[in-house]
Amino acid sequence: MTLLAKDTIGVPPDDILTVKNVAVSLTKGGRTMVSGVSFGVRRGELFGIVGESGSGKTLFTLSLFGLHGETEISAGEITFDDKTLFEDGKRRRLGRILGCRIGFIPQDPYSSLNPSMRVGRQITEAIYLARGTPPNSRQCRDEAVALLAEVGIPEPETAFRQYPDQFSGGMRQRIVIAIALSQDPALLIADEPTTALDAFTQRRIIDLIVERSRRRNLSVILISHNLELLRQSVDHIAVLYSGQLMNIFETADLGRNPLHPYTEALFECIPSVNKTLTDIRSIPGEPAGAGFGLTGCAFADRCAYVQDICRTARLPENTGRADSFSACLLGKGVRT
Amino acid sequence: MTDTQPMVALRGITKTFAKRALVSNRAFGLRDINLDVYRGEVVGLLGESGSGKSTLANIITRLTSFSQGTYMFKGRDVRTLQRSEQLAFKSDVQIVFQDPYGSLNPRARICNIVGEGLAIHQSHLDATARKERVGSLIQEVGLGADCLDRYPHEFSGGQRQRIAIARAMAVEPDLLVCDEPLSSLDVSIQAQVLKLFARLIRERDLTMVFISHDINVARLLCDRVYIMLDGRIIEHGTAAEVLNNPQQKYTADLIEALY
Repeated sequence: MTLLAKDTIGVPPDDILTVKNVAVSLTKGGRTMVSGVSFGVRRGELFGIVGESGSGKTLFTLSLFGLHGETEISAGEITFDDKTLFEDGKRRRLGRILGCRIGFIPQDPYSSLNPSMRVGRQITEAIYLARGTPPNSRQCRDEAVALLAEVGIPEPETAFRQYPDQFSGGMRQRIVIAIALSQDPALLIADEPTTALDAFTQRRIIDLIVERSRRRNLSVILISHNLELLRQSVDHIAVLYSGQLMNIFETADLGRNPLHPYTEALFECIPSVNKTLTDIRSIPGEPAGAGFGLTGCAFADRCAYVQDICRTARLPENTGRADSFSACLLGKGVRT
Repeated sequence: MTDTQPMVALRGITKTFAKRALVSNRAFGLRDINLDVYRGEVVGLLGESGSGKSTLANIITRLTSFSQGTYMFKGRDVRTLQRSEQLAFKSDVQIVFQDPYGSLNPRARICNIVGEGLAIHQSHLDATARKERVGSLIQEVGLGADCLDRYPHEFSGGQRQRIAIARAMAVEPDLLVCDEPLSSLDVSIQAQVLKLFARLIRERDLTMVFISHDINVARLLCDRVYIMLDGRIIEHGTAAEVLNNPQQKYTADLIEALY
């Protein structure tokens, strides 16, 4: 593997989050769902994770920070902000990081806000929990109103006193983003933040996240099933399939460098503007669920280039945490 | 019937809903909808959520009533249909719903789900003939004959949507209404089902109302499109006209917002 040459001891200095050979398994039964995933998220960058349903993209990302109730990390190393979160089978120091250094935007804005609590209070509470500023103080209140204005809520003073049900889905998602930003986090995790919203609102919310990330030098992990959305919004994309890390590539590089056959096939599936029906190629078969392990490529059964080795060999891992990686056993999409 | 007469002609269709206090301050409904569907064409209804697309689909399939206006189907006012004609209408117009997890009876086998319409609308077929038809339909939508004795929960979303399409096609409807049939499917599966629709349209000369919020999908399948906003049709025309050269700012914004 050429990538092994890049492996360095310790953490590259510009990474906010480093994930090394991480495997995630279910607490009950211990089945390994995602295995051998390595990548680095740089400070201030937008990092996309794409996959179909059951690929393990949400399960994996939430498990990294112990946010998933039914999984545990079973192997690997996780480093966040130069602190080790997980090593030698032990989890460390999560308490003061979650909700302070790491913000979270869940999928459904209709169920993530407390319906019986005024919007303002939900933000001041978050500020209090992060920094101890008394929630009823003038300072805390002003900060919350400023945050509401920052995420584009019209009349933030009025919104402060309103309840979540008085807002549309898009506006609610903005409030959730305001709560996530209230901690002044270094990393924001957005788990399909727009799937519950329509096309217009989706564009506005993603634009808001991208803009805030650039302005605040905030790292973002954006999880989505929409490859085209990620292509237009983020710096690097990691592609997961059946719990295997298939591909990592830089979006700016697209078109100049080869892709993993699965990523390539995904792009061919998307009905974008200039395509005719014959340009769209569907991938035969059904996606396999997560938990494929590391023996053989999970995509082999649907891959156009499949050879015998694809089903038997051990999948390459991104041990060097390179920005450009392809797990293809035939070497497709590997940069030379 | 000649091609000059539309199969579906909606004139001034209006639907009002009783406003549900406390739940929502948006008044859903349709206002003054005029829409034609001619034999052999695919008509797209596009708009964001809450624009009334699905309500209109339910009116066309007569799953819901309307408050004002006239709905002519094959030249007949649907409000004056006799009992036997009502039955014929139900086999003439079929629908494929958005969510294939909610639209198939979990306790029925696939052969019964697909064959039920045949048993009602084509009662002259005996059990063997019916089974044969169901088998060939299942094959046409790209599933194996071994599916017939299985239950919906054994299938993935894409396979279920194929089953729903086979069910709708079973009675050889004149008009197929598809209410966002792709939006709950994964990208790779979406492309498969999209290709299936394209093939059915080509081979069977289907007349179809295709509802979508994905303009790129509409561009590929539809001959004509109607753009909806707040229960009204704000723009319509051939797909190429409207989508390449939109006259309304809203339509242009909608195209612009798409990924």
